[in-house]
Parts: sequence; structure tokens; C-alpha cells
Amino acid sequence: MNPLELTLGIMTAVGGFVDISELVFAAKAGSTFGFALIWVFAFSTVGIIVFSEMSGRVAAVAKQPVFNLMRHRLGLKLGLVVLAASIISNLITCAAEIGGVALILNYLTGAPYLPMTIAVTLGLIVSIWVLPFKWIERAYGLLGLFMIIFAVALFANHPPWHELASGFVPQVPKGLSTKELLNFGYFAVAIVSAVMFPYEVYFYSSGGIEEGWGPKDILTNRLTSILGMGLGSLLAISILANSAILFGPVNVDPEIPGSVALEAAIPFGKWGLVIALLGMLFAVAGAGVETCLANAYSIAQFFGWQWGRHKKPWEAPRFTLTWIVLFLAALVLVLTGVNVMTLVEFAVLFSILVLPLTYLPLLLLSGDREFMGQYANGSTTRALGWFYFGIVAAAAVAALPLYLLTSGGNG
Amino acid sequence: MKPDGPIKLVSQLLDLPIVDSDGCYCGIVDDVELTGTPGQLLKVKSLLVGPGTYRERLPNWAFGLVRTVAGDHIARVPWSKVRSIGSTVRLSVPGGTLGLLKSEVRVERFIPHKGAF
Repeated sequence: MNPLELTLGIMTAVGGFVDISELVFAAKAGSTFGFALIWVFAFSTVGIIVFSEMSGRVAAVAKQPVFNLMRHRLGLKLGLVVLAASIISNLITCAAEIGGVALILNYLTGAPYLPMTIAVTLGLIVSIWVLPFKWIERAYGLLGLFMIIFAVALFANHPPWHELASGFVPQVPKGLSTKELLNFGYFAVAIVSAVMFPYEVYFYSSGGIEEGWGPKDILTNRLTSILGMGLGSLLAISILANSAILFGPVNVDPEIPGSVALEAAIPFGKWGLVIALLGMLFAVAGAGVETCLANAYSIAQFFGWQWGRHKKPWEAPRFTLTWIVLFLAALVLVLTGVNVMTLVEFAVLFSILVLPLTYLPLLLLSGDREFMGQYANGSTTRALGWFYFGIVAAAAVAALPLYLLTSGGNG
Repeated sequence: MKPDGPIKLVSQLLDLPIVDSDGCYCGIVDDVELTGTPGQLLKVKSLLVGPGTYRERLPNWAFGLVRTVAGDHIARVPWSKVRSIGSTVRLSVPGGTLGLLKSEVRVERFIPHKGAF
């Protein structure tokens, strides 16, 4: 295990953890319910760590990413259903990320939003075309570390630490009306979905193959999952806590991503604002790249095509054509004029419906001793895996009714 | 696993990715062709690869959709060209010699060969 590679891998995971949905829902959750939803972030982070570690282990041992194996395990018909659902979920998420980057650039430069969405899409396409996989992952992930400003701002905002720490204990605030209770439930489900987005697992396992992981990388995979995602989640929790301190008491609803940047602007002024916006820019752009590549990985792996950006674009032609077309399809979705926040809500809603279908085959594969040998799930991982599968299945059932009953958390 | 012993078709072969002797992905085991007579041992004659095989595995409307997008060609991989079976099916020859990489080659013509590290 190369310590430099490991450190870079962990830092990349930290910088790449937050995306537009987490930004939005963390800020809204903090302003609406104070510190009371911190535990949902922490709880979901353990879930994504469990499943990412599993997917990385399967990639390292079987040398096959999730979707290659999913079709073998689920068969063609059910596999196609999962593929179609994943494509829709990832496409909406990718569109939300493109819209988010364009909005942030609009704040930074004043350039109009819609032309900016075209420039952003072309910029992302060029970056994937030009850079090999490792550079794509590192560039966006490491530049996303500007997001650390939110953790620093939390200290500068002098939170009530005791109350903040009590947010890590599972709770439902007392004295909520039925309407508020439903809203709390919707936010909890949305946060689970935003933290455990299916694209993260597809991208992570395919990335393991892109980087040529083998059984020797099992420890690297475990440390990257636990430390990278754990520390990344602390950034999202910082956003929530800052929002609880700054926005909640004055009844400000951070409806747009720009409001989130104010969390750093209030304690640090103009430079705090610029660093926060740059962090958001690279983190959200990185998530845009990940969602699009995750979609192209899924399609190419399902049909057995050449894939990967460790190859030159012309060495995996159908894969290359697919990610370009998917970026353009996401752009078309944004250009219809649909609001970024609406896209974020749909992305979160659709993703939670797909999550059980994504995680079940992974759980079965990683626990299969015939397939994984000595690297199959141990008793703790197996128990955690099934527990979280139950949670995402319950969340999937509850998501749509909660969305309708609360008008997407605005009820 | 060597391809000369007994094999469970669904759990050990169907829907596995195929990798050729150059390490290239060149499709999925979409179906198999068997030889033999009733009451005797069945043998795998070839692996069938390509969207044309979905006709038997998908509802008509879904197959129609797939055919519109991807066509209905089928390539045959003789069982003798299968080297081993594990998490993938490994071939002993390049996929191009069996007609497995036609679509990749066709699309490659439209992809510029420059500008990438």
C-alpha cells in the first residue's frame, strides 16, 4: 500500500463526497429542524461506507464491476429494469449537477444561466475526453477540498457544541405537528437518498477496475471508503450545522445553492464566499462527471462493451459515444427550463426508488463464498448490509407518499 | 473452471461477460446453443451473443425496442474457443475473429483519434 496514493485517494473521496443534493438538503434541513437531522447524515454515511466497501471489494477480487455481475445475478429482464431505472435516476441527477454548476458560475461571473449550462456541459465533456481516469477523479476531488471552508466556518460561527453533538443521537424533535412530522420524515428520507445515491457505488466499483485494483488493494479500499466518505460526510454536516446557526433563527429558507455559500461569507467575508463557491463548483462538477460516467459504465457493462477512461476514447468507442450522448441528454433536460431545485428533488426521489434494486445484487454477490472466497462478507458486514438494505427498502416505500403529502418538503 | 466438465447453464454461464484473448470485453453470453438427443447428455455447441437472442428472452414490445436501437444480429462463439469460465468467460482467440467486435469497429469510425491523454 503506497501511503501517498492512499492519502490522495482519501482526500479525493472527501472532496468528491458532497454533491448538489447534499448541499441543498443539508442547508434546508439545518434551517428547518436545527441539529435534529444530523444523525440521519451520520447514519446514512455508515450505509454508503458499507456498500461502497462491498462494491470496491467485489471489483478488487472478481475484477468485475457491479453492473457486469448484476446482470448475471438478476437475469436479463430484471437486470434491464434496474438498468432503465438507474439510467433515469442518474440522468436526472446529472442534469441537476449541470444546472448547479451553471448557477454557481452565474454567481461567480454574472454570466447568464442558460448559455452557462451549455458551456459547463462542453467543459465537462472536454475534461473527460482529455484527461485519463485518475486525473479526472483527482482533479475534481482535490479541488473540491475548498469545501473544507464550511467546516472552518463552523468553528468561526461558534456553534453550541453540546447541542450540535446531541444531533448525532437518533431523535425526532418533540412537539411537532403532524404536518411538521411528515416534513421531518420527508427530509430524513431525502437525506438517506442523497447520501446513498446509486451512482456513487457504480462509479466507485468501476473506478476500482479503472485503477487496476486487485486483492492487495482490499485495505486501501476499506480505508478510502471509511475515512474518505466519513470525513466527506462531516463537510455535509458542517453545512447543516452552519445553516441551523445562521439561517434557522432568522427564518431564512436556503432555497438556492447560493444561500449555502453565505455560511462562509458571514464569518470570512468576500474571500470566504469565493472559496465556498469554488469548493461547491468543483464538488458539484465532479459529481456531474461521476453521474454521467456511472451511467455510461452501467450501460457498457450491462451489454459487455469495451469501457473505461483508462483507455483512450477511441479504444472504447461505444462507451465514449454513450457518455457524450448522456451529457447532451442531461443538457437538453436542463435547457427545457426546469428549475434546478425541482431536478434535485426528482433526482433524490427517483434514486431512493432505485436504491434497493441496486444494493440487493451487490449484497448477494459480495456475500457469495463460491464467488468471493475468503473475501466474502464477514458476519458484521453481512448484518450491516442487510440492515441498511431494510432501511433503504422502507425509505423507498415511504418516499413517494411523503413527497406528495409534503409537496416536496414545502408542505 | 475448465469448459470440459459439467456446467450449470443459468448460474455459471448465462449473462456472464465475455473477454477475449487480448483482454477486450466483447459481449455477454446472451444465450447458448446445445447439441444432443433426448435422454442423452447435452453438450454446449456455442455461445450466442447479440441483441437478436433477446427475441426469446424479452416480451415482444421490449425486443422491438432493443431491435430498433441495437439491431438483431447474433454472433456464435464455438465452445472450443472458450478457455475458462469464472467471473467472466475467457476466450482463447481475439473476439474480432469471431465477429464479436463489429459494432465497436463501426462506431470507432465516428470517434476522433486525437486530443486524449
